[in-house]
Amino acid sequence: MDKRLGNFLGAATLVLTAVSLWMVFAWVPTEAEQGIVQRIFYFHVPLAWVAFASFAIVAVAGIFYLWLGGQIWDDLGYAAAEIGMLFCTLMMVTGSLWAKPIWGTWWTWDSRLTTSFVLWLLYGGYLIMRAMLEESEQVARFAAVVGIVAALDVPVVIVSVRLWRTIHPAVLVTRQGGHGLEDPRMVVTLLVSITAFTLMFAWLLMTRLAVLRARTRSIELAKAIAMAEFRAGRA
Amino acid sequence: MTAFVAVLSKDLRLELRSGMSTIAMVALAMLVLVVLVFALNPGVARGPEAAAGALWIALVFAGMLGASRALLAENENACIRALLMSPIDRATLFAAKLAAAAIFMMVALAAGVVLTVLFFNLNFSGALVRLAPILVLGVIGFAALATLLAAISGRARGGELLLPLLIVPLFVPALIAGVRAAGAALSGAPMATARDWIGILIAFDVLFVTAGYLLFEHVIGEE
Repeated sequence: MDKRLGNFLGAATLVLTAVSLWMVFAWVPTEAEQGIVQRIFYFHVPLAWVAFASFAIVAVAGIFYLWLGGQIWDDLGYAAAEIGMLFCTLMMVTGSLWAKPIWGTWWTWDSRLTTSFVLWLLYGGYLIMRAMLEESEQVARFAAVVGIVAALDVPVVIVSVRLWRTIHPAVLVTRQGGHGLEDPRMVVTLLVSITAFTLMFAWLLMTRLAVLRARTRSIELAKAIAMAEFRAGRA
Repeated sequence: MTAFVAVLSKDLRLELRSGMSTIAMVALAMLVLVVLVFALNPGVARGPEAAAGALWIALVFAGMLGASRALLAENENACIRALLMSPIDRATLFAAKLAAAAIFMMVALAAGVVLTVLFFNLNFSGALVRLAPILVLGVIGFAALATLLAAISGRARGGELLLPLLIVPLFVPALIAGVRAAGAALSGAPMATARDWIGILIAFDVLFVTAGYLLFEHVIGEE
C-alpha cells in the first residue's frame, strides 16, 4: 500500500478527530430536550455509517473475488469485516448508553436495534469462521460467499424486523419539514464527525490491508525458500 | 434432471435403509419440545402462540443437526470426490442435496407437529393444514442455507460448531416471519393477517435457493 497516502490519512484522521472532539464537547449547543447526553449522537451516527459501509464493502469484495479472483479482494473483505465489527460494536455500545437515560432501558427490541444486532451476529459468525480456519483459497471463496449471502440477508432482515416493531427515531432520514437538528451547528458538527470517522475507517482499512498483504508475501517467501533449499539439497 | 433424480433417489434410498438423519432429527425435535415444556412449565407452554414458537425452535435445532447431513455424509470415504468427478452440474447437485435435506427435515417436523399438538394442548384440526405450507417454506429456506454453507464444516476441526453460527443469524428474518405466520395459522386467525409474513418467507426462500444455486460451485470442490 502506498505509504505516503497512509501517512496522510493518519495525519488527517488525527487532526479532524481532534477538531470534531472539540466541536462535540465545546462548540455545539446542548440539545434542549435531551440535554448533554444527546452529544453521543455525534459518535453514534458516524459509527453506524462506517459499520454499514464496511459490511457493504465485504459483500462487494466477495463479488469481485469470485468474479475476478485476486488475493487483494479477499484481504479487503477480511479487513472491512474486522473494522466493521469494531464499529458496529461501538455503535451498539454508544446507542445503549444513550438509550438508558432517554428510553429508560439499555436495550429494546426495536427494529433498528434488532437489525443492527442481527448484522453484528452475522459478521461475528464471519469473523469466527475466518479465525478458526486456516487461510486457503477454499476458505477465501467460502468467505466471499458468506459475505455475499449476508448482504443478501440484510434487506429481508430490515423488512421483517420493521414489520415486527419500531420505536427508533428517524432523525436524519425522514420526517419532512425539519430533521430534528434545529441548530445549524449541530449539522456541521455531525458532518465533521462523520468525515473524521470515515477517514479513520479508510486509514484503518489501509493499515490492515498492508498487514494482510505483508503476511501473504511472507508466506510466499517462506515457500520459495523451502523450495530453493529442497532443490539445493538434491543437486 | 436425470442427474437430479439420481442423486436425490440415492440419498432417499440411503436414508430409508439407515434412517440416520431423520431418526436423529425426530429425536432432537422431540427433546427440544420436552425441554421447552419443562423450561416454561405446562401452564405457560400452551396455546397456539407458544406452540408456534416451540415448533420453530424445533425446526432450527433439527435443521442445525441434520440439514447439512445430506452433503456432509458424502465426505465419508471421499464419496464427494466421485460426485464432483461425475458430469453433474454443481447447481444440480445443490438442488438435489437441498431437496434431500428438506425432505428429511419435513419428516422430522411432521413428528414435531404431532408432539406439539399433544404437549401444547391443541386440537388436530384444519389449523394444521394451514400450518403445513408455512413450515414447508421455513424448511426450504433453512435447508438452502445449510446446504450452501455445509461445505465448510467438513473442512475444519470444529466445523460443525461453525455452521450454526453462520446459519442462525441468516435465518432470523424467516424465523420472525415464520413464528408469526404459524401463530396466526394455529390460532385460527384469518389468513389475511399472515399474508405479509408468508410473503417474507417466500421472498427468503426464493432469495437463498437462487443464491445457493448460483454460488454453490464456489464453495464445493477441490480442497
